[in-house]
Amino acid sequence: MTSSLLLSIVTFAYLLCTVLYLSGVTFRRPSLLTAASAAGFGTLLVQTLAIGLRWKESYELGYGHAPFANLYESLVFGAWAIVLIYLILEFRTKQRALGFFPVLLAFMAMAYASFSPDIDSQIQPLVPALKSNWLIAHVVTCFLGYAAFAVSFGISITYMLRDSKLANPNPRGILALVPSPRRLDELNHQMILFGFLWLSVGIITGSVWANSAWGTYWSWDPKETWSLITWLVYAALLHARSLRGWSGRRVAKLSLLGFACVLFTYFGVNFLLSGLHSYAAK
Amino acid sequence: MENKGSFWSAFYEQLASLKFTIFILFALAVSSLIGTLLPQGMTEQELAMRYGPGAATWIDFFGLSDLYHAGWFRMLLLLLGINLVVCTLERLPKTVKLVRFREQQMDPQKLLKFANHAQFSTPLLWEQAEQALEKIVAREFGAIHHLEKSSTAYGAIAEKGRWSLLMVYVVHLSVLVVLLGALIGSLWGFKAFMNIPEGEALDSAHMIRGHGVVTLPFEVRLDHFDVSFYEKGMPKEYRSDLTIIENGQEVLKRSIRVNDPLTYRGITFYQASYGANLKHAEIEIQNVKSGAKHNLSLQLEEMVTIPETQSRIMAMQYQENFSGFGPALILAVFTEGEKPVASRVLLNHPEFHGNQIQDYHVRVLSTEQSRYTGLQVKQDPGVWVVWFGFIAMVLGIAATYYTSHRKLWVWASIGNPSTKVIIAGKVNKNSLAFEREFEHVCERLRTELRAGSENVEDATLKSRKKTIEVKKI
Repeated sequence: MTSSLLLSIVTFAYLLCTVLYLSGVTFRRPSLLTAASAAGFGTLLVQTLAIGLRWKESYELGYGHAPFANLYESLVFGAWAIVLIYLILEFRTKQRALGFFPVLLAFMAMAYASFSPDIDSQIQPLVPALKSNWLIAHVVTCFLGYAAFAVSFGISITYMLRDSKLANPNPRGILALVPSPRRLDELNHQMILFGFLWLSVGIITGSVWANSAWGTYWSWDPKETWSLITWLVYAALLHARSLRGWSGRRVAKLSLLGFACVLFTYFGVNFLLSGLHSYAAK
Repeated sequence: MENKGSFWSAFYEQLASLKFTIFILFALAVSSLIGTLLPQGMTEQELAMRYGPGAATWIDFFGLSDLYHAGWFRMLLLLLGINLVVCTLERLPKTVKLVRFREQQMDPQKLLKFANHAQFSTPLLWEQAEQALEKIVAREFGAIHHLEKSSTAYGAIAEKGRWSLLMVYVVHLSVLVVLLGALIGSLWGFKAFMNIPEGEALDSAHMIRGHGVVTLPFEVRLDHFDVSFYEKGMPKEYRSDLTIIENGQEVLKRSIRVNDPLTYRGITFYQASYGANLKHAEIEIQNVKSGAKHNLSLQLEEMVTIPETQSRIMAMQYQENFSGFGPALILAVFTEGEKPVASRVLLNHPEFHGNQIQDYHVRVLSTEQSRYTGLQVKQDPGVWVVWFGFIAMVLGIAATYYTSHRKLWVWASIGNPSTKVIIAGKVNKNSLAFEREFEHVCERLRTELRAGSENVEDATLKSRKKTIEVKKI
């Protein structure tokens, strides 16, 4: 059993979860949602195992590093983090109707990592710049932040759909199982707070790392700058929320803007702009 | 005067407003974005070539090619700082007042107007009821502050997380601390680089910004530079073995690698790059017209006359790996009354068309190089201030979001036939979570006080219904 085989299974399992969550909400079948949760939890366990196995394999190859070193590995870890955070949210709120977007994003990340011809799934040795204890801290904290923002993205879209039918959601409609706008707004806010905390820690660990690798804690490298832009957008959102009349729909829109910044920080900078993080594109 | 005063106070109010904060945050985001789209650090000529002279003038005028150091960008950072200071001055006294405030009396009628409140009666005796109230409230909400305690009426307040109101100021001040640390670093620190050839010792470094030179209070000698590769060809390690020499004495020997710098007397050396300098090159030069062939020995940046001609040739630069084509030597030919002509000669590709300058075909027979290491040299007295700001920021954000000020009011009055209890609660944020917590306390109290469901009055019913809704959705 190799990690790549397990990860292929995980990719298809997330597709199954996506279908289960979508049909559960569409056909208003809580039992399907329960099945989706169980499948999601099982897939997460398999993925955890696969990531651990890949870590072990890297030692067998003589490289010995945490599996967070290139685009393939970070996509796999990103998918893992999204599902983990979503399932924790689900467990804490007993609310299963919001799973579609998170598992869809996880599936898309896994599928892109597995099937894109531009992405090398081989275990590579670490280049000198990445040989640091900060690697794990930096990647894990950044991805916890990104993942929380991904879940918030899903909640925001759901909010905007739900909010337009505020007065009376059709009891037989697709949104019948979805929480009320007020509850969605509250959940969204909590997710953004969580993401903001971890994004801050992620930027800070990156900054401390950069200081020991390149001798400067901030060099306006495109990746750094875009993570700061993301941070500023979410900071603006958190402040805007306390302005009169800015909760709800406007905050949901800002959250979509914030997630667009996350995506650009993650993909756009790698492919469109050059900089110190260029190894992340390989 | 009156007008002026109101202008300034209106201006001050604007500076302290939340809208201004949001504006500054977005302005910083958009400007940073522009800086990532326009290449930074290009010279005027490069800009003119790329965008045309007209656009280049504007880019230069707004400092867009060095945006993050432009005056207006620093102005934005300063405005953010001012906004933070003004907001703190404006709001902190009110918050401190709120944190210190202890109410002295309680109006049970007002409690009934709270969003979270419940009212019920208990068949227990007064003392028993009081005991039960104290027990539950103390367990769920900590220390109890009594406002009223007589044989007919009981009023108490319990609260948690009063200090959490102050945490947002920790976050805001931490941003100021980080900015201050960056300022200290830019005023009293420096960032420079030095290329030390193997075996040599240097005490001067070139500033990264501008053209200044820093003289270090000691010398740094490169004893050996080593680069190793993985089997697949990826670089594995860059290592410089350094010796610090102070007053002619070797005081410290250490190797540095990427991610493993050396700090001596507050100055830190980072492995940043490496390269090779040419010591000398043996070349064969052939005039393609006359066929005359000569062997020459060149040293870097030294003119050598080409025999039987008036022309001279010079090795300008040695490149260890030019665009993946292996080592290359840049040579220039100088002829009196003509423009000098330069060309890049590829050592491993004799067939390359560029291996010819004017009428001379060049073949490099051998080269001898000396390795050098490229070190980033930095002194930053502000870095600890920045670290302190970072720690305060993380702790502050975590405390702001994951703690809240929750307050519980309890009122009981003896009545006939049963004792009436009113309970109300307030929170400064995350009201849904508090609703659940409040409901939980109410349930505990109802059980403990053996409040019959028939005694539950309107308000309680309403709040219960709301909770049921919350649970269902």
